[in-house]
Amino acid sequence: MPDSWKDNHALYLIVVGALAWLVPGAGHFLLDKRRQAIVICVAVLLTFLVGLYVGSVGVIDPVGAKPWYAAQLMNTPAVALLARISTAGNYPVYGRPNEIGQIYTSIAGLLNLLCIVNAIYLAHLRGVEKARA
Amino acid sequence: MTSELWGLLGSFTTPIQIDTTASSMLWLVPLVASIAIVYKATKVYTIRWKAFLRESAVLFGSIMVFIIAAALIIQAVAWLVTEQLPRLLGGPSF
Repeated sequence: MPDSWKDNHALYLIVVGALAWLVPGAGHFLLDKRRQAIVICVAVLLTFLVGLYVGSVGVIDPVGAKPWYAAQLMNTPAVALLARISTAGNYPVYGRPNEIGQIYTSIAGLLNLLCIVNAIYLAHLRGVEKARA
Repeated sequence: MTSELWGLLGSFTTPIQIDTTASSMLWLVPLVASIAIVYKATKVYTIRWKAFLRESAVLFGSIMVFIIAAALIIQAVAWLVTEQLPRLLGGPSF
């Protein structure tokens, strides 16, 4: 009974992908890959927070830096909340801190995108193996 | 406790001071470490800490060597174009 939702393959992949996006590493955690989940969560969040610390919340700029924002949004949907704070307040950031902050936060997002795709792929493989068995 | 929390959150509202110097390039080192660790975490089937750290360190070293090699090649090309080529063509250097 508890595994019934896992029998719906497409729904299972969507849940794994959504969880992996919601919290970095949560997709792997759901797949019982606890160590991978911890490593991914710590590394992605630390990279994102370092970027935010270096450049301030101002590096999340959904108006003037849309491509960067798209990558930053891959970290977690909570970035949209930070974007609202950033646009509502006055957090100017220029020069090197802006560049480094944007690069760190965006690379963290792209790394999480890699982990989301990896978690979905692993879930798909499990579904295929389960169907064969 | 509350003031410490506000102080911590406040540190995320102002950027830190980073000058446009060659040493600011060192900011790529932690980023490369993060990339190596996350990439390896997605590649291995199960994580055994010792082997995982060794593989991550090898990948980190490979990326750093490639970046340094690319930087040296670009620097050499820039030096040839801005210093040597004008001299060969008989004009002033940039």
